[in-house]
Amino acid sequence: MALLHVENLGIHFGPPEDPVRAVDGISFEMAAGETMALVGESGSGKSVTALALTRLLASPPARYVSGRIEFEGRDVLRLPERELRALRGSGIAYVFQEPSSSLNPVFTIGYQIREAIDLHRPEIRDVTGEIVRALDTVGIREPEKRLNDYPHQLSGGMQQRVMIAMALACRPRLLVADEPTTALDVTIQKQIMDLLKALKQQSNMAILLITHNFGLVADFADRVLVMFQGRIVESGPTAEVLRNPQHLYTRALIECVPKLGQKQRRLKVIDYAGIN
Amino acid sequence: MNQTNFVHESYAQRIWRRFRAEPFARNGLWTILVLFAVAALAPFLANSHAIIRVADGRVTFPIFPSLEPIEWRFLLYVPLAGLAWLFRRRLFARPLGGATFLLALVILIEVWLVFHHVVNDPTNDRDRPAAFKLMPLVPFSPVETASEPFLPPSWTHPCGTDSTGRDIAARMLHGARTSLSIGFVAQSIALSIGVTLGSLAGYYRSWPDIAICRLIEIMDCFPPLLLILVAVSLFESQNNMFYIMAVIGLTTWTGMARLVRGEFLRLSGLPFTLAAQAIGAGDLRVIVRHILPNALGPILVAGTFGVASTILLESSLSFLGFGMQAPTPSWGDILGESRLYIDFAWWLAFFPGLAILITIMSYNFVGEGLRDAVDPRLRIK
Ligand SMILES: Nc1ncnc2c1ncn2[C@@H]1O[C@H](COP(=O)(O)OP(=O)(O)OP(=O)(O)O)[C@@H](O)[C@H]1O
Ligand SMILES: [Mg+2]
Repeated sequence: MALLHVENLGIHFGPPEDPVRAVDGISFEMAAGETMALVGESGSGKSVTALALTRLLASPPARYVSGRIEFEGRDVLRLPERELRALRGSGIAYVFQEPSSSLNPVFTIGYQIREAIDLHRPEIRDVTGEIVRALDTVGIREPEKRLNDYPHQLSGGMQQRVMIAMALACRPRLLVADEPTTALDVTIQKQIMDLLKALKQQSNMAILLITHNFGLVADFADRVLVMFQGRIVESGPTAEVLRNPQHLYTRALIECVPKLGQKQRRLKVIDYAGIN
Repeated sequence: MNQTNFVHESYAQRIWRRFRAEPFARNGLWTILVLFAVAALAPFLANSHAIIRVADGRVTFPIFPSLEPIEWRFLLYVPLAGLAWLFRRRLFARPLGGATFLLALVILIEVWLVFHHVVNDPTNDRDRPAAFKLMPLVPFSPVETASEPFLPPSWTHPCGTDSTGRDIAARMLHGARTSLSIGFVAQSIALSIGVTLGSLAGYYRSWPDIAICRLIEIMDCFPPLLLILVAVSLFESQNNMFYIMAVIGLTTWTGMARLVRGEFLRLSGLPFTLAAQAIGAGDLRVIVRHILPNALGPILVAGTFGVASTILLESSLSFLGFGMQAPTPSWGDILGESRLYIDFAWWLAFFPGLAILITIMSYNFVGEGLRDAVDPRLRIK
């Protein structure tokens, strides 16, 4: 049985007569422990898809117009509020794009990780020890001291590590990382991606990596979904899609990644006239 | 030297440090604390009974049996608040546990007060012989006809006497309780309603927001004073302090609701709200534990200014004769009486007026200090 099964999901915004079709009938599956990348340009509906997985998208303004989302056999779109809350975090956990504003500025990071543990693993006795371990896992040095820090006392990279630690503290079956490195500079990007790779190897948690950068996908994801204007235009094993992209849009996206050792006068720009 | 150093400092600590750096705000806060201490200790500062009396080989404390419930409340709650503040770390190590403990104490005190019997002893200890007696600073009770009417300030009556010969100083000391507690409690009621409705409107948006905004607009069509006058004339039990508090609180919450709604609209759109929901926090938890602490600064500022304007409102009510009724002393009431005799008894207007002025100014200084302290754009050492 698949861990996650999405079928013909449709999500609209705006007036029903003339809706913005943010997600326009997409279907995909993820197996337990699998890593998958969801690639597409800005505005293609990646974040909307990700948030819909636990019905995090407030409705209104969003309208779930069609389809089903099944997580471990349960119908997410019809789940009662209580079970939905239990699913958020321990079933599917998120890491968002902007670590600086995703942490609550008035609480210490230790307090925020503690909340995640209290909510999903109340059986744990030594919560402080668990927080220290969580911070240690994501590579924060001297975690005993750091847990009393406030978010503004940490660098962007460290903040994102804390967000990851918070997500992992819930022991999720699926981690959704929505552009986890976009707000960070290039060297920090690599560190965070290395951390995610290490986590992938250590646990059998499934990871859905959302990005608009094909460069990050190659040595990370088992499979790739390419999204364009609310639809999935291409999917398959990463190596295959990279070697032989079928859709013009995928080809354009791949060419947008600057390659090392290859002289390029200017950055490629996607030519929409050719695709539509 | 422009040196960046990472001091471990919480949001509250930072505000407190910046607040303390401002002399007006600091002194305003001290004045308010002193006023509360005076209000709490009023029965021991001005009373016709002795604090300690030794007679016939017996030691008695004649003040205690005559204390009214409201006097007990001040006597117990003001130090309790102080202690809770001193031990806040240990008390709120588990926030829910600390709150439950305090609530249990309050309920215990209130239940005791319901069954408590007040002894009404009209005699005074001033002229009663005793082997030893310690009289309060002002040896008059606020309700007794102690001397001639309209005595100007003197050593016996430092603030003079009123039209029925009651001591103004005693009435002022006891009146502090009325003014301060009405300001505090009425504003707390307004704050609770405003924060609740404002946060619901700002968090849920759509129809709760529409309903609450319309309610605010309707309330704002009537000046609070008008609403209060109507409410007071509708019901008869005018001498009840809680009644006045409730009426003022129920009519002055709209400003707070608007403010909190705006803060919630802003904060609930920020990623940390989404992040909290994403780890499975329910609506109530997100509202109370995640968003509200971020809005606390502005709420505190508005609440402080609110207390000042509530005290003024109560004084206006008493002045117009709609507030607390005699013999319960209140500053506004003394001031209201003065208007009939202003051409010869200046002290009737001067002392309560001064007390109201000082209180309002102190609250406004604290409010301004807080506002500057929470505003990160202002640079204060
Ligand atoms: N709250 C909203 N109200 C109206 N439209 C929305 C809302 N949220 C998203 N949309 C629309 O849904 C579409 C998809 O947005 P989405 O955030 O999923 O893009 P994305 O692929 O994540 O882009 P990015 O790479 O910039 O994060 C966009 O066209 C956007 O205008
Ligand atoms: Mg996005």
